[in-house]
Amino acid sequence: MLKYLARRLAATLMVITLVSMSVFLIFDVLPMDPARLTCGKGCSPAVIEANRHRLGLDVPVQVQYGRFVKGLFVDRQYGDGAAAFSCPAPAFGYSFNRHECVTTLIADALPVTFSLAIGAFFLWLLIGISLGVIAAKRQGKWQDKASTAFVLFGISLPTFISGILILLMALKFRLIDPIEMGRWVSPFESPIGWAKNFIFPWLTLALAFAATYTRFTRSNVLETSSEDYIRTARAKGLSEKVVLRKHILRAALAPILTIAGLDFAGLLGGAIITENIFNLPGLGRLSIRAVLNDYDLPVIVATTLLAATFVVVMNLLVDIAYAYIDPRVRVA
Amino acid sequence: MSGSRMAKRHLSRRLIATTAATALIAAGVLAGTASSANAASVRTGGTLYFITHAEQFDHVDPARVYTGRDIAFFNSYLFRNLVSYKPVKGAAGASLVPDLATNTGVPSNAAKTWKFTLRKGATWEDGSAVTCQDVKYGVSRPFATDVITDGPQYLVGALDIPLAADGSSTYKGPYKKTGQDGFNKAVSCKGSTITFKLNRSFADFNYALTYPAGAPVKASKDSGDKYDLRPYSNGPYKIKSYKVGDQMHLVRNKKWAKKSDTVRTPYPDDIVVRFGLAEEVRDQIILNDQIPNTINLDGLQPANNRAYFAKAEYADQRMNVYDPYVRYYAMNVSAGKLDCLDVRKAVFFAVNTQALIDLSGGSVFYGDPGDSPIKPVLGLDYAPTTGNIHDPAWDINGAPAKSKSLLAAAKTSCPTTYDKATNPAKGLTMDLAQSATNQKASVLIKQAMENAGIVMKFNFIPSGQYYSTVLDDTKQNDLSTVGWGADWANASTVIPPLFIKEGGFDLTQNWKVPEYAAFKTKSDSALNETNRAKQAKMWQELAQYAMDQYWIARPVFSKQQFSWGSKVGGVFYWEPQGTFGFGGLYVKR
Amino acid sequence: MKPFLEVKNLTVSFPTEDGLVRASNDVSFTVARGETLAVVGESGSGKSVTSLAVMGLHSRRSANISGQAILHLPTGPMDTISATPEAVRKLRGKSMAMIFQDPMSALHPYYSIGDQIAEAWALYNKGSKADGIRRATEMLELVGIPEPGKRVREFPHQFSGGMRQRVMIAMALVNNPSLLIADEPTTALDVTVQSQILKLLKDMQKEFNMAVILITHDLGVVAEVADRVCVMYAGKIVEQAEINDIYYKPDHPYTIGLLNSIPRVDQLEGRRLQAIPGQPPSLISLPKGCAFRSRCSFSEQVPDNRCATEVPDLNEKLEGHFSRCHLTETQLTRARSLAGSK
Repeated sequence: MLKYLARRLAATLMVITLVSMSVFLIFDVLPMDPARLTCGKGCSPAVIEANRHRLGLDVPVQVQYGRFVKGLFVDRQYGDGAAAFSCPAPAFGYSFNRHECVTTLIADALPVTFSLAIGAFFLWLLIGISLGVIAAKRQGKWQDKASTAFVLFGISLPTFISGILILLMALKFRLIDPIEMGRWVSPFESPIGWAKNFIFPWLTLALAFAATYTRFTRSNVLETSSEDYIRTARAKGLSEKVVLRKHILRAALAPILTIAGLDFAGLLGGAIITENIFNLPGLGRLSIRAVLNDYDLPVIVATTLLAATFVVVMNLLVDIAYAYIDPRVRVA
Repeated sequence: MSGSRMAKRHLSRRLIATTAATALIAAGVLAGTASSANAASVRTGGTLYFITHAEQFDHVDPARVYTGRDIAFFNSYLFRNLVSYKPVKGAAGASLVPDLATNTGVPSNAAKTWKFTLRKGATWEDGSAVTCQDVKYGVSRPFATDVITDGPQYLVGALDIPLAADGSSTYKGPYKKTGQDGFNKAVSCKGSTITFKLNRSFADFNYALTYPAGAPVKASKDSGDKYDLRPYSNGPYKIKSYKVGDQMHLVRNKKWAKKSDTVRTPYPDDIVVRFGLAEEVRDQIILNDQIPNTINLDGLQPANNRAYFAKAEYADQRMNVYDPYVRYYAMNVSAGKLDCLDVRKAVFFAVNTQALIDLSGGSVFYGDPGDSPIKPVLGLDYAPTTGNIHDPAWDINGAPAKSKSLLAAAKTSCPTTYDKATNPAKGLTMDLAQSATNQKASVLIKQAMENAGIVMKFNFIPSGQYYSTVLDDTKQNDLSTVGWGADWANASTVIPPLFIKEGGFDLTQNWKVPEYAAFKTKSDSALNETNRAKQAKMWQELAQYAMDQYWIARPVFSKQQFSWGSKVGGVFYWEPQGTFGFGGLYVKR
Repeated sequence: MKPFLEVKNLTVSFPTEDGLVRASNDVSFTVARGETLAVVGESGSGKSVTSLAVMGLHSRRSANISGQAILHLPTGPMDTISATPEAVRKLRGKSMAMIFQDPMSALHPYYSIGDQIAEAWALYNKGSKADGIRRATEMLELVGIPEPGKRVREFPHQFSGGMRQRVMIAMALVNNPSLLIADEPTTALDVTVQSQILKLLKDMQKEFNMAVILITHDLGVVAEVADRVCVMYAGKIVEQAEINDIYYKPDHPYTIGLLNSIPRVDQLEGRRLQAIPGQPPSLISLPKGCAFRSRCSFSEQVPDNRCATEVPDLNEKLEGHFSRCHLTETQLTRARSLAGSK
């Protein structure tokens, strides 16, 4: 097991390294020129070049990458003369658009996105799994049909519409203070303030995800129910409750773990639409504004890399958890 | 969501958004002006909110602020300049008043030398006096082009400092201090008097000093790039907190002395700018008057805008005014492009202006056909032109018959260009920023041109790259959509930028044609003219010439709308800045 | 011998979109403690459906069940068909237990062997988890699993097929049931393992004095363990007799066919196994008359075309030997010898 872990960990690091290289290469070949974009009116070639130097884009892409990697371990220096400053390691770069070290920006945005993701995650698992189990147990009955309707509704309604609808309703009934909404409140300082901030975004995301999980749970429960070992469990004399909870759900929910883990990781990368609708200053908004506003390359690179890292690392965690849940995957 | 973010500062404060701006309105109605009977004490106190979809102010560093709204905002609250626009409504708002200086500047040597003397009593946040050295230091910062980006370059271009071979200044700013001696000669302090030596006659130099780029900066507080987050204030407020994507909170600067400042009237105790609101949230706050002490820094989304302006009860919470911009199609007159006057005229007369205005919100909210690159809000420098939209044959819905007769003439006067414009295999190409509105506009334009027998094609460019693409004269096509507004109330910030190569925004490429030499000579002499009335006359004539040459098509004098809550008082439109007169705003009790 | 289980006129049908599937049709049999009844038939003949009905393992939503399956418990008789699901559940594991055909899929892959056996034990016994595991270890030892103390902590996928079936048996017997239904317990196993499992079943039967119902499609395995045999075809019992009668005096052409398809060590070299030609009829639309008719080589011998028009009754032709066929004893004797010489 330890050997397996070491191997997986090495592979994960490798993937992250490759992803980071690709990110640099991709943004290098894109036709956008941040040096030109952030150039003012007196945009002579000399000024553009000065800009390019300021942004650190005046060197070949492999050198840029080298600086990036170095910055992860050693403080990174910017500027010349009296205007020089540095970003402390681990530095993901400096945003000349927001005038902050990217690490700081991410550290500010991460708790927001994490709060959004974790709450939505539990909410959609709760709703999705409950509805899915009920639908499976009441197959063909009205409960099943109602849940099917919910699934169709949830899947076909895009987040940017459901989010706006939820938002407008919350505004109409004065359930949120529009001027304060989305401002970060630490759950350690005010758990209620924190939850108030996130309840509607959670609902928005949960609505979208719960539908998928309802469908998935329903079909998995039905499929598992027809397994031989479930018949065995009943033949032993176990009650339906125990059969469902201990035998069916354990097997039916295991594959959901994989999807849930990856969905969660995906959300950690930033829920762009939801964060924008509800004014949440999370990673999604950070990254999309970086693209839209100024082509803020260091932020784009860092958020892209971070999102990819979440997925890769979560993949690893899910695999480890899966090995724990399903003894068949355990490595002898 | 924010595709419509303003075109922005990349080139100039007054460069218009590449995507259709949401707004605008009827005649310059000014609303909500507080009655002077209200005593100041009634207006004092409370918290004034500003809301915006934007993630942050483009810039806060005085040397980098370059949009009319932000200049007006920061000049009203944080930065004092040597001179300021008078904070009043109407044309009088464009007049200069002394601010940190004791007068509006004393020119000499044919306006090549300007002197200003600082008044006493102006202080920084820590109570220290604002000195001549502070002003000098502030003026030096825009030269550090590797740190101070995006800001206006008027001072860099005007101060008499030697140029390097590549055309840039030999002075590299206060951080590297390269060429500091050159700068010290051009800008010098003697006691509390600062002297600027310029490389040309610059009759309206003091207007350039209304930009915060000419404001003092305390050297010991300069934090380079980071100064854009926390500039040091000498105005009636100071920054308590500013977090991008969250909010900026201004509180009273206790060290600011009312008696040292004849311009500002700080009413609210707190000023909070809330960033990053979803457009829908922002609009709902205004539509429902949910936070009555709120001012919308943006326009409303088109449908919400119409709804809001249709409500009688909000009559005192909105204004619909001409903005500083003229929006038009620049015609590329270089050889092989639109190098034939008759063809350019044919295009001008073929355009269905009304349909395009309707597409962008209609005459009420978008604007009216214009007859000059200079807008009437510039006052003195505008005069109605002749020809173009005043030609009896011109029609707001397009005049295809007139266009056809012009094309018939072109057939003999310039057969090659005629062929290009009418041959389906060739055709003219128009540059447009990629947007849903422009996609629809292209259909309307194509149809109107077809009616006149002109073949029109379109080149859609991602909006972030639009200006950098069309400003490359090798990439620009026959026509390019553009918007431009004066930097101050003088067409010296319109005619040279738009029609002189060095102006930086000449999308007509007219420097490639013979008529240009005479035009440039006249423009240069207008710049040097110290007699304001004479100068205005010259600008009018140059505008007439540009129109007669049909260097631009479909000029529209555009409008913009503003909206605010029921508890906001003292609102007026500050014409020279094209936005609120922020200093007069107060919270109604 | 007093029967422990008495199945009377048990009929199980499943409504489907295509029509009613009569999987088990008017089935009656008995089995006593210490006795092994083999239920033999092709797949789809209704043998598993019948036993699941006895166990109360059909979903009441999907299956229509009529008839009786009476367990003669010390506390009195109880009909598992008419009793409440909860009452029947409390019989499972304790009074009646069942093991299944495919030990690969019949054990829960996520739980250790010990957990699964202990779980069954804990249902009817008071004791700690550790007690359960201890009991499981004993059971594993009893069913002949080496190193039970170690293997009790292992998972199903770590066991071979035969070992898993032993685990299943251990689990089924942990509560000392009176009736064990073994549904094709050896079908999925190697031949050598098959006889080990059958022997184990036999041993366990003696150990626990159980009534055993052995469900199989293979008459070959029946010989080793069964006392009596029920042969089912298309949902009905077609022949029922003592084991020797079945082997030496099969009374139904289907039984004869089955016997001919068994490989036997005493058979002459070169004699080929006979598979019964044809397919069983659809259980949705059973043909009129005898269900086996279309595959029967002797039906022409019955006069008046009765095989096509008249469903044969289950007649007791000799004592304790029932058969569902229109053929006379004389005709059958010929049939037996004919089949044997083919």
